[in-house]
Amino acid sequence: MDFIIAKYNYWIYIILMMIGFYAMISKSNLIKKIIGMNIFQTAIILFFVSIAYKKGGATLPILTHADAHGEHAIQVAGYLNPLPHVLMLTAIVVSIATLGVALAIAIMMYRKYHTLEEDEILKAIK
Amino acid sequence: MKTLGLIVSIIAGAFLMYGTIDMPDWGDPNSPASIHVSPRYITNTEVETATPNMVTSVLADYRGYDTLGETTVIFTAGMACILLLRRRKDVRKARR
Repeated sequence: MDFIIAKYNYWIYIILMMIGFYAMISKSNLIKKIIGMNIFQTAIILFFVSIAYKKGGATLPILTHADAHGEHAIQVAGYLNPLPHVLMLTAIVVSIATLGVALAIAIMMYRKYHTLEEDEILKAIK
Repeated sequence: MKTLGLIVSIIAGAFLMYGTIDMPDWGDPNSPASIHVSPRYITNTEVETATPNMVTSVLADYRGYDTLGETTVIFTAGMACILLLRRRKDVRKARR
């Protein structure tokens, strides 16, 4: 039981990630593939943010009493891990960029072939 | 084809779940991610950057070059969108 409580968040993110992976592999509509890619990226972002969590009264990684002289000793266990948050900020930016370019390419394919179904596009290419 | 994709994703998910056995527990304060590198940023961010928000100081100060590259990514994506979606004059004439 302790094992399940300690690990179930990872399992939820893995299930979410596999939903996105399945959509990327086997859906034939290009927009559905793009949505699957976004679900995949969101699962990775949630996974990293959950790594940053610390039990035992840790708050957000913002100093509550800011003084530059170092009078207050900073408790490391009292703040969440800031590094995964920073990395996921970068990952959100990259996911937005990939989503934009993918949607632009989908619009181009719709303009050229008048469909977004993958098999019909392959037929039209041949 | 759909069943093949389902089987592949279930196998990949099973391997990833097998990998979580070695992961640290959720919210463990003594996990390697929270005792190895991040205490240095938590304790020194105020002295070195005078910024109370650690995420901001790491993003814009310690990893400033990374953020510069990030803006390059955004710029490239925006340029790609504009170049793809631009309606060219010759294409419009050919369509008419």
